Amino acid sequence: MALLSPSDDLFDSILMADDRFHVEGYREGFEEGTRQGMIEGRNHGRLHGAKLSAEVSFYHGFALTWKYLLQNSEDVKARKRLKAVESLDGLIQKFPYEDPQYENLQEDMERVRAKFRQVCSLLNVAVDFREYVSGSAGMAF
Amino acid sequence: MKDTLAPVLRLSAHPDSRCWYVAWSPKGSLLASCGGDRAVRIWGKEGDNWECKCVLSDGHQRTVRKVAWSPCGNYLASASFDATTCIWKKKNDDFECLTVLEGHENEVKCVAWAPSGNLLATCSRDKSVWIWEVDEEDEYECVSVVNSHTQDVKHVVWHPTQELLASASYDNKVCIYKEEDDDWECRATLEGHTSTVWSLSFDPEGQRLASCSDDRTVKIWKECTPGDGDGSTDGAWKCVCTLSGFHSRTVYDVAWDRLTGALATACGDDGVRIFKEDTTADPEQPVFYLSAHMPKAHSQDVNCVAWHPQEAGLLATCSDNGEIAIWNYHSDA
Repeated sequence: MALLSPSDDLFDSILMADDRFHVEGYREGFEEGTRQGMIEGRNHGRLHGAKLSAEVSFYHGFALTWKYLLQNSEDVKARKRLKAVESLDGLIQKFPYEDPQYENLQEDMERVRAKFRQVCSLLNVAVDFREYVSGSAGMAF
Repeated sequence: MKDTLAPVLRLSAHPDSRCWYVAWSPKGSLLASCGGDRAVRIWGKEGDNWECKCVLSDGHQRTVRKVAWSPCGNYLASASFDATTCIWKKKNDDFECLTVLEGHENEVKCVAWAPSGNLLATCSRDKSVWIWEVDEEDEYECVSVVNSHTQDVKHVVWHPTQELLASASYDNKVCIYKEEDDDWECRATLEGHTSTVWSLSFDPEGQRLASCSDDRTVKIWKECTPGDGDGSTDGAWKCVCTLSGFHSRTVYDVAWDRLTGALATACGDDGVRIFKEDTTADPEQPVFYLSAHMPKAHSQDVNCVAWHPQEAGLLATCSDNGEIAIWNYHSDA
């Protein structure tokens, strides 16, 4: 506690103590809250980023595998299917992993998901990849 | 009011169930209905009566929400809450299930055939709209999946002449889609309704789109042309008219008659209403007036209104009470 200067009213420090402690407490609480919030936010971002990356990576692996399978196929339908698979791969290539503040992330993600579903329909693959996909179905804050 | 809407007949189409939707075949000789009893029924005229010609009951596991005829009249598509769409082929007087379109995650809410007959659109509670291509061998391939809505998509409808698709959703919006480099993209979003948009109908020329909503209004939208001079971009749509104060409950369906230009609505207050356009009004600010109103057209919610494609003024409606009613609309104007 600071020393009282002689000019100060002796009772001031007592009467104002409540006020002073309130201000100090607020400052300390604010700092701690900011620190905790940063940690929480970072964890949240990391978690969602990981989920999203896992989902996109899954689509990428799926697209690459089918690309190889279809490339040498003689089936008349293969060309059309290959085109759709390549279009999915194209969307994934453009995906901005490096930019965490990318504005159209949700929109682009929806586009990749829609393309994946179309590709599955064309390839007659049942869309039951819940373990890979639905973990990041929505982003909740 | 000289204009009249007179009852012609009433059919108990889906007893002890809801009748969700009715669709006239392109020539108007058959009427297809679907309902909560998981069945599609085909009705045809025998003398003065309408009889059930066919029951398609083995296609779906759950409610059949909508049916649509192909432009040639030889195929029928049915959209069901069992997440599938069935394509039925007409064979003499019977129908056989040709193929089942799978892919939606849950309830399919609507199906619509493009005027060319080569494309089919479906929409679902999974928020997506799918566009399918039909080849010569009756094979269906998905050409695009679009996720433009943030909620349940209730209805899809094609433009009468162009390859343009419109969808209505629980997110209160209407989206307009066009093909772009092998993919279909949302080109315009129509915002204005304050609650679920239930149905859509293009006017006979395809210049305007009517939308009806849970907000108890019907809105008329017009495509902006570059010459409008209001700075709007090409392909955008603007609301040119709102019909409010006429409906006391949700408006579930709207249909623009290709023959008379009259606009019919199906309402949750059990009524059917017919609107006519005031031809003297400015085309940029059209005015519609209530030409005929049939309160208690059914004993429960009216789900659908469908104009006969060839006989002017003949209107079919259906209701939650499982009934189909056919009406004759006559206007002196």
